[in-house]
Amino acid sequence: MTRSTPDRSGVRRRRLAEGLLLLCALLVAFGVASVHRGSSVPMAAARATSAPSPTAAAKPTATSTPTVTVTPGTTATPGVTPTATVTPEPTATETPTTTASVTPSQGPPGPAEEVGKHVYLRDCAWCHGDNGGGSGRAPSLKTDGAADADFWLRTGRMPLASADSKVKPGAPAYDSKTMDALVAYVGSLGSGEPIPKIAPGSKQIGESLFISNCAPCHSSSGTGMILPDGTWAPTLFSTPPQQVAEAIRIGPGQMPRFSKDDIDQEELNGLVSYVSDLGSPQVIGGHPLDQLGPIAEGLFFFLLPLPLLVVVIRLLGKKAP
Amino acid sequence: MSPVQKKESAPKSVVVCFGIGALLFAGFAVAYALDLGTPVLGATIGGGLAFIALGLAIWSQLIDDKEPEYVEERNVGPSPEEEFDTFHEALVTEPVPRARVLWGMFGLSMTALGGAALFPLRSFYPSEGGNPDDLLTHTAFAHPRHRHLVTEEGVLIKPDDLEIGEVLTAFPSNYDTRVAEGATLLIRVDPSDLQLPAGRETWAVDGVVAYSKLCTHAGCPVGLYAQESNQLLCPCHHSIFDVLRGAPCIEGPAPHPLPQLPLGTDPDGYLVARGDFSGPVGASWWGYPA
Amino acid sequence: MSMLHRPGKQLLRTSLRKADDRLGFASVGKTALSKIFPDHWSFMLGEIALYSFLVLVVTGVYLTVFFEPSSALRVYHGHYAPLNGQEVSGAFASTVEISWDVRGGLVIRQAHHWAAHVFIGAIVLHLCRIYFTGMFRKPREMNWVIGVTMLVLAILNAFAGYSLPDDLLSGTGLHIFYTIEEAVPWLGDWLAFLTFGGPFPGRYIIERLYPLHIFVVPALLALLITLHMGILIRQKHSHFAGPGRRDANVVGSRMWPSYALRSMALLFAVAAVCVLAGGLAQINPVWVWGDFKSSTITSPSVADWYIAWIEGALRLWPPTEFHVLGFDVPTQFWPAVLLPGLTFGLLWLWPWVDRRITGDRGTHHITGRPREAPVRTAIGVAALTFYGLLLLASGEELLVEWSRWPIGTIRAILRTAVLSLPWVTGAIAYWLARSLQRSKAEGALRLSAAQLRPRHGEQQQELEEHEEKEIRKTGPVPAAGLTPYEPAEHSGSVSGNGGPVESDGDRSLSEETFWLKRGPKERR
Repeated sequence: MTRSTPDRSGVRRRRLAEGLLLLCALLVAFGVASVHRGSSVPMAAARATSAPSPTAAAKPTATSTPTVTVTPGTTATPGVTPTATVTPEPTATETPTTTASVTPSQGPPGPAEEVGKHVYLRDCAWCHGDNGGGSGRAPSLKTDGAADADFWLRTGRMPLASADSKVKPGAPAYDSKTMDALVAYVGSLGSGEPIPKIAPGSKQIGESLFISNCAPCHSSSGTGMILPDGTWAPTLFSTPPQQVAEAIRIGPGQMPRFSKDDIDQEELNGLVSYVSDLGSPQVIGGHPLDQLGPIAEGLFFFLLPLPLLVVVIRLLGKKAP
Repeated sequence: MSPVQKKESAPKSVVVCFGIGALLFAGFAVAYALDLGTPVLGATIGGGLAFIALGLAIWSQLIDDKEPEYVEERNVGPSPEEEFDTFHEALVTEPVPRARVLWGMFGLSMTALGGAALFPLRSFYPSEGGNPDDLLTHTAFAHPRHRHLVTEEGVLIKPDDLEIGEVLTAFPSNYDTRVAEGATLLIRVDPSDLQLPAGRETWAVDGVVAYSKLCTHAGCPVGLYAQESNQLLCPCHHSIFDVLRGAPCIEGPAPHPLPQLPLGTDPDGYLVARGDFSGPVGASWWGYPA
Repeated sequence: MSMLHRPGKQLLRTSLRKADDRLGFASVGKTALSKIFPDHWSFMLGEIALYSFLVLVVTGVYLTVFFEPSSALRVYHGHYAPLNGQEVSGAFASTVEISWDVRGGLVIRQAHHWAAHVFIGAIVLHLCRIYFTGMFRKPREMNWVIGVTMLVLAILNAFAGYSLPDDLLSGTGLHIFYTIEEAVPWLGDWLAFLTFGGPFPGRYIIERLYPLHIFVVPALLALLITLHMGILIRQKHSHFAGPGRRDANVVGSRMWPSYALRSMALLFAVAAVCVLAGGLAQINPVWVWGDFKSSTITSPSVADWYIAWIEGALRLWPPTEFHVLGFDVPTQFWPAVLLPGLTFGLLWLWPWVDRRITGDRGTHHITGRPREAPVRTAIGVAALTFYGLLLLASGEELLVEWSRWPIGTIRAILRTAVLSLPWVTGAIAYWLARSLQRSKAEGALRLSAAQLRPRHGEQQQELEEHEEKEIRKTGPVPAAGLTPYEPAEHSGSVSGNGGPVESDGDRSLSEETFWLKRGPKERR
């Protein structure tokens, strides 16, 4: 019989080589792509132009009538300017014009309150006003409390180095003692939430509340997701429990807040317990593909299994001469 | 028969492949018994199957290396005219007179059967009946029994339960929360920031506004509330709604604003709806009112 | 001879003989074993689909044993702590149980889902191969129509399948499906109410999807696969042009043992890939998404890729809503009802559309090459670009993350791309195809710059001479037992059974090359 077929072993060797090369390239691409996503994405910059919350003294109440024909929405809170810009507090003694560049590390030695006040005046007052009344650059701290201070400072988002700096998480700027002092002082400037207490809670309650309240922005897996104006709801994989609780209560940045009437202490404990597990999920099904869902699964499919099968048939099939 | 002919041994590579495959299958059995988890189970069975595939591939290669190409007639194409005529004759020949009429009546009866068979599909429709146009245009809030707003657990809500910057999902009272139409977003903003459309100045209570949670594009719950920009983002197709101005869609494919619910309070101070939403909730359909 | 005494072989022969006593299959069997199957790796794409279907059925049967197709609430008790003791639907609870509490359940479940990806992916690749080689032409139009039908059924069944667990992600997809049904002209709201048994979500959809997913559609698919392969066996597979290959014959490997072993290897390879992925790559972790509630959602909220192109279209289509003749035309009608309708409608009708474009009404058993039909190739490439961009739009979130641009910018870029890029890629494909036609380069990468420039006259003649040489090369030698094939050099009729084969005079050229010689616009 005459051999009329091409050198199949040679063709096969070439195919094998090209297939292996393709697979290596794909594995590298896959590895690079699955490097931990969503780390440290900036939250929305604290807007200096946001209108201040109404002062605590005048919480409006709706006047009630026997029938449900209340006309709400017309009661305005006194003392609040309807314009968007904030005017500095009248008692502010200085409105700094130069941008202070802050390289904080440690406060001076001394009693805690003095330390806190000193650091505040040194690092924060140039934006937030000498008494926390705010300025053109930063909102007032009058309605914030220790929870706010603790959150913003301990996540390293505050203080800002300059007026042009972006708000993003980082290492805390102060050591523990100074931090406590500063938080206490800033908390005393306003009337907001105290630092929430947390205790181990029910993960079942946490799961249910997380899916209902948090998944829309942070994703069911906690991986974080986009927000309207180019900002990001961050990942929750490595958020300390205290910060989770604080964020729920204060609603930092673009995040809405959840008060005690909506999420009580037991529910808060449950949520915090559930979120603390998100960073190390029990992944029982193999590589988690970032728990991102069909986008990642589809990408993986087109990068690995499908090309692999095409390589297989290229090796199995013979080339028509 | 040549006495000097040596028996060739089986190709080692194929034997080894099948052997490893068998071992891996045994490994699966062990992994199952010891409950070693999904990745090990998948790796053992999958690996075993892969080695079987490899063995078969090598085997087929060894065969193919010695195989020439073969050819055979395709033998497919139109049948010769006489053959086809014979076939056609056999099919249409009918001993019974005017068989056309019989076939026609048979066809008619089968059509009737087909038509009749469609009727049981009616049972797929909700047994309570009702016109979809009506059911889609109104929600439970239209009825006094369901006017109060409650949380998912059924708890009544006061405006002060929400702080400024807070969002809460509420439902019509005495109504199954699993029914999609009732999902309502309660958002509290600074009242002085509200710029609701004309005629809706009284629809908010102390800065608490209520919008349908269902996106007017394809019905997904618009769950993302960006507090600082007072915007709602729908994660399905990325429509963005402006909460302060009556939730018009300022960006994205949604065609209508989120319907707004006129809020009021009852004598005890709990939030109630003073009517149904400003428009049908969810996506539009061909009977959507003008 | 000594082999005959081996007990194994003797046993085989005896059992076969006993069966043959009753069925008399020796002759048919011999023909079947020596069936010729043409060789090309791209001919095995359909087999990947076939074997992944088998994997789906096998894994699917296992899942039906444990799955509970119920929307009624019950309590989940199992190893997944956050859901332990919570009241969820039976469908969701049983899916979490399969994943967490049934040993081996998750690997089967994940293998099932990955196999669905492989099934549809292979069908799409196979469809592309058929399309770009023009093998939907006569006499294979029926098989093409059957194939497109199977693609549609596969996509619908996959959607039904991942909606069964009643989790938050797929439930949202069902809500979108509901609103897409609403967008069907005039009947839409009735259709949606009929499907779901009332306003969304109703209490019936899981129970209704279940028999469709596990029985009705798989049975239809099995029937269509049988028809598809039956037609293939009757017509015999096509083969690429080459020495000795004509419309009237088929050249390749013998079914047994050559092709069968390769095919078996592919079966195990497909099963291996599905099961390896099922064990090593997590897919659809429904316990993470949470059980479905129509009042909440997770983000990102996208469907699997074979549906996600419709999602992408929904994302990119601007809000267009207007009233006409007393009816409202919903904005989701255009991207979600009309676009898929046109897509599959065009796909179904493509053999006849192609006929109009190319004027090619001949019978073809020689696989075309993409370069031989530049217009068809260009349209195909443009279509792939279009749907690829829609698929990309379904991943807008990732694009926002990588680029840090706002969503509006990404959307604008994608909209522009969808409207413009297909024209560009189509034009490039056309140009490459024409250049390959004129030159004799093996592939696009081997084209030199000079060959990319259009030339006429002598180039065409060179091409014809080359083609003739190819045909006159010594053809393959038939093995003993098969009818030796005599290349008919001088007569027009080349088939042995008297059936007319369309070929030109004394050239014995195939329809393909004949068409090439005459130019694209002329008809036979």
